[in-house]
Amino acid sequence: MKQVTTEYGDKVAWVYRQFPLDQLHPVKARKEAVASECAAELGGNDAFWKYADRFFELTPSNNQTNIDTVLPQIAKEIGLDEAKFASCLASNKYDAHIEGDVQNAVATGGNGTPWSIVVAKNGKKYPLSGAQPYASVKQLIDLALQEK
Amino acid sequence: MYALLALITSTVVFAFAVWFPNISLIVEIMGHPGISFSQKLDLPISLLGSIATNFTLLSASYTIAIALLFGVNLAMTTYFLRRKISEMRQSGVTTGFIGLASGVLGMGCAACGSLLLTSSLSLIGASGILAFLPLAGGEFGILGVILLSVSIYLIAKQIQNPAVCKI
Repeated sequence: MKQVTTEYGDKVAWVYRQFPLDQLHPVKARKEAVASECAAELGGNDAFWKYADRFFELTPSNNQTNIDTVLPQIAKEIGLDEAKFASCLASNKYDAHIEGDVQNAVATGGNGTPWSIVVAKNGKKYPLSGAQPYASVKQLIDLALQEK
Repeated sequence: MYALLALITSTVVFAFAVWFPNISLIVEIMGHPGISFSQKLDLPISLLGSIATNFTLLSASYTIAIALLFGVNLAMTTYFLRRKISEMRQSGVTTGFIGLASGVLGMGCAACGSLLLTSSLSLIGASGILAFLPLAGGEFGILGVILLSVSIYLIAKQIQNPAVCKI
């Protein structure tokens, strides 16, 4: 996606939505999603992306992340207020927001991550399931840009 | 001829496995009136590369293995049937199809939505069971490789020892 934003610049907008897979990563995935929203609340967009990037660097697959240590550790690393982050993480303030994103992903046909939808200006949608090669993503973006 | 049949079958099974998560997108692009024929082919061809981006090393390995083994299995079964052995035993053929069924269920990765098993279990509200499997459904892919290998062995054995009435 970084390659997309570099190559296409202002022609595209990247909208990130949460899609924790509770069936495969019970409890932890949702908590991790909340943590990224807390990072955004405390440090803005930059903090959100720093948090997300660092999280995916540190986390092992198959629900094995120790969220009690890893989540606060990343917050500290990227310079967030640790007390406020802990308070935000313990609250339920983002539960409805994340659940809304999950419902939206399911309603649009998503059954795994990453679940991406390329949306043209005229509203035409090209849903792409999974981590696909850049050439496939690029073709769909080019197609969406051609839509009148 | 049988080698060609094995090659074509393996290619079809492999393509199905990697295209499966995006079959509806491929169908939509194929029917898109504003795209040239060569552009229409670009998407399915580029999506074949998802074996490297959307599969773990383990799932990519057994996905390729299942495709190859099924191709060989089908070619051998066809050869076997064409020899018109009237008293053929069905065991090898049956194991092959059970192997493919198991392999197809386990192909792909559960988290990235390419696993047929996830969709199947969702239908009966049991997708949570995947969290309890160490390989999150990959067990079915490995089982598929084993069953297809057993099937090939059984068919090969029957081809080498055609039906003979024991005295």
